[in-house]
Amino acid sequence: MHEMNQPAPILPPFAQEKRLLQRLGYEVWDHLWPWSRHGFERQRFIVALSLGVGAVVSVVWLLAAAGRIGANAMIAWWVGWSVFEVLVRRQSKPYVKEGPWWGTQYRRADLADTICYVAFKNLLIGIALFLAMRYFGALDFLQGLPELKWLYI
Amino acid sequence: MNLYYFLGHLGPIRIGLFLVALVCSMPARASSYDAPLPPQLSSDPDLCAYAPCREVMPGADSFSPRQGHPSYVEAYRQAGATRQLFGYVFLSTDIVDIPAYSGKPVVTLLGMNTKGVITGVRILKHSEPILLIGIPEGELTRFIEQYVGKFAGAKVEIGKSQADEGQIGLDAISGATVTVITENQVIMRCAYAIARQVGIIETVSRPAARFTPQTDLRDWNALIDEGSVQHLTVRPSELGVASTGEPYIDMHFGYLNAPAVGRSILGDPDWTRLMAELKPGEHAFFIIANGTASFKGSGFVRGGIFDRIQITQEPDTYTFRDTDYQNLYSIAAAGAPAYRESGIFILRSKAFAASYPWRLRFLANKIDPQTRTKTFASFEREYWLPGRYLDGGRPVVHTPEPTSLHVWKMKWLEIALLLLLFAATATVYALRDRLVRRATRKNKNWVSIPKYVTWTLSIVFVGFYGLAQPSITQVLTWLHSLVFNWRWELFLSDPLIFVFWWFIFITVLIWGRGLFCGWLCPYGSLAELSFKIAGALGLKRFQFHLPMPWHNRLRWLKYGVFATLVAVSFYSMGIAEQMAEVEPFKSTFLVGGVWKRAWPFVLYWGLLFTVGLFIERPFCKYLCPLGAGLAVPGTFRFYGLKRKAECSDCHACQKGCGSLAIDDAGVIDRRECLLCMECQILYYDDHTCPPLSQERRRRSKAGLPMTPIAADGYYIPIKPVGADQRE
Repeated sequence: MHEMNQPAPILPPFAQEKRLLQRLGYEVWDHLWPWSRHGFERQRFIVALSLGVGAVVSVVWLLAAAGRIGANAMIAWWVGWSVFEVLVRRQSKPYVKEGPWWGTQYRRADLADTICYVAFKNLLIGIALFLAMRYFGALDFLQGLPELKWLYI
Repeated sequence: MNLYYFLGHLGPIRIGLFLVALVCSMPARASSYDAPLPPQLSSDPDLCAYAPCREVMPGADSFSPRQGHPSYVEAYRQAGATRQLFGYVFLSTDIVDIPAYSGKPVVTLLGMNTKGVITGVRILKHSEPILLIGIPEGELTRFIEQYVGKFAGAKVEIGKSQADEGQIGLDAISGATVTVITENQVIMRCAYAIARQVGIIETVSRPAARFTPQTDLRDWNALIDEGSVQHLTVRPSELGVASTGEPYIDMHFGYLNAPAVGRSILGDPDWTRLMAELKPGEHAFFIIANGTASFKGSGFVRGGIFDRIQITQEPDTYTFRDTDYQNLYSIAAAGAPAYRESGIFILRSKAFAASYPWRLRFLANKIDPQTRTKTFASFEREYWLPGRYLDGGRPVVHTPEPTSLHVWKMKWLEIALLLLLFAATATVYALRDRLVRRATRKNKNWVSIPKYVTWTLSIVFVGFYGLAQPSITQVLTWLHSLVFNWRWELFLSDPLIFVFWWFIFITVLIWGRGLFCGWLCPYGSLAELSFKIAGALGLKRFQFHLPMPWHNRLRWLKYGVFATLVAVSFYSMGIAEQMAEVEPFKSTFLVGGVWKRAWPFVLYWGLLFTVGLFIERPFCKYLCPLGAGLAVPGTFRFYGLKRKAECSDCHACQKGCGSLAIDDAGVIDRRECLLCMECQILYYDDHTCPPLSQERRRRSKAGLPMTPIAADGYYIPIKPVGADQRE
């Protein structure tokens, strides 16, 4: 049952996509990419900064997955990135899904909604990343790369 | 200055700091918790210069240097002019590498007399959070004292004794099940290993293997594929040492007596020569290795013993001396990898049976990244000769039941009852629409009775009996395991908590945190039930809600507590566990009565309880880090509560909401809602819900019939006969 009297419903552009696979693709992209075209136009400086931070975060994640980085640094990066993502999403994609995750209802997100969304989503992405890297042997591979030695913390 | 004034000026952050300071100042540090141990304890030949050997071996007056593999010291007593062997003293971390709940070993010193009877046990160091601040040190002492007088070869388990199976049961420590199960394994395995080594316990005899006449030579890959050659790798990160891009050790190994395997590895002439040298009951193994470390080590140079490798075949452990070693110059099997180190080792024991599984164990020192202290670590790989090389195939092997499975079997009734409680609660909640339709604001029995029953069962059965109170400490442990080292057995060791968490994961995603927090949390149930009872006993006129502006500020406090705990846990689990005492759960359920705790805990618990008699669930609303953690995923629960368009102007539900989860615009805060169902009762109550009440009065005056209330919370509209056709 849809809740009435909740923050105003909002529909991201892709929510009206009828084809299931395309919609799933858009949703995955929506979760992974916090910026919107609208956001790009308004936040060029932030976008550039974001891309830099994103790249650093990717490297830190890889190192962390390989067990080559301290837990403190890893959690700091995770939190840092999440905070940054919250700020970007507040401008670019200020909505979260309402009701079942397989549904197509969205609502306008307040700050607490966005924080919860980013924290929970990034936790799930982190879990998925670790499990996938473990399963596919990427951890072993990374540990055997002397080229990464200079990056070890 | 009244309480309102005080809180209003203190602010949420200061209140948080005040509580953290209160918790951290609580004087309850256990004496062996993270006790600093001298580094020589794990390596110095004179163990008893650094460990209280006399305490575990009363009556002994002198001790030998460390000896044997695994190591122990002999205890002596002067009898006249002669010195008699009196017993043995050994350190658990010299023998086994079994991490406890904290992921770190419980360093235990044991004494055993010459008949194999344990004479004393002393825990020198542990890192178990529950024993730090939840359970007094005396409980731990009482637990380990149960081992005194037990034979090293006895079957000792936590739980009830089972005379028909020869099992001796020990009393556990309530609330520390995982820790005591682990410590039981540590103590009994250590005692057995030393008793076996010094000859107190006889060898377990197994029939010797008879090999099939298979002689077809196989290449390296074929040997790997069929399991005749096994592989064991240890990475630098597993030992806390810096990586060089190479494994720490990367070993291939196998059993050479089997003709087909031996001939394939050594080549026919070398294998024939080797077998000719072996006497009956002797077995040959090969090892080749790469990596930065050596499997030979340097111990054999000084003491003639290879101290980095062992062969284990439960319950026996075999080590090798320099006289058991032969050079291995080459591998005959095509496709074998290049290697840096190699050797053939001869095991001289009739107790070893090649037809049964065995393990190669690599021993190393692990460096704690935080403290840089060294601890003993072992890495194993199982080897079982393929059945095609054994006459009659592989024998049937009865592997011992995993400890966690044993616990599940022991607690099957409790698990079943808990599942029944969860199923019943979820069913009741799923049928909430039917229940709230039958209830009214004046008679809420259809909703209240199931809730009261659930609260009572949760407090009595789940909380006090089952000690299954979910806690933020479990979330922290789970997060750390996920990042660092996931161990299923750690979570399976406490079945009630394990089952509870699955229920929480599922229901938080479906309905939000309210079903757990509002219905099934033992402490939350106790808080709410005591609030209701206090009201019924005459305190109702003193009960009140905090003003919404204060509530709206204070409710963020719990998120701050949660975030702080998570952040601190990545710096130090120990400190985080201490700070997690902000939860009064241990005091309430886990320690057998809050009065058993130090006075600051009693004061804190009493304060929360007393305030809770006047304000509904103050801890759940403002402090609970677990509730805050669950609110994060609960924000995106699948199914919420029903609301009407008029709810934005009408404040009837808001006034009745004990959780203060409905704002002035009539929006339910899904993070704060505890699913008390008050607003849903009003939703269908045509004497209380203003839109329904107005419509009821209008129809009464007009003499119109009262149609049923539809799922949208309104009367089904009255349509004139024939309207359908016209439409």
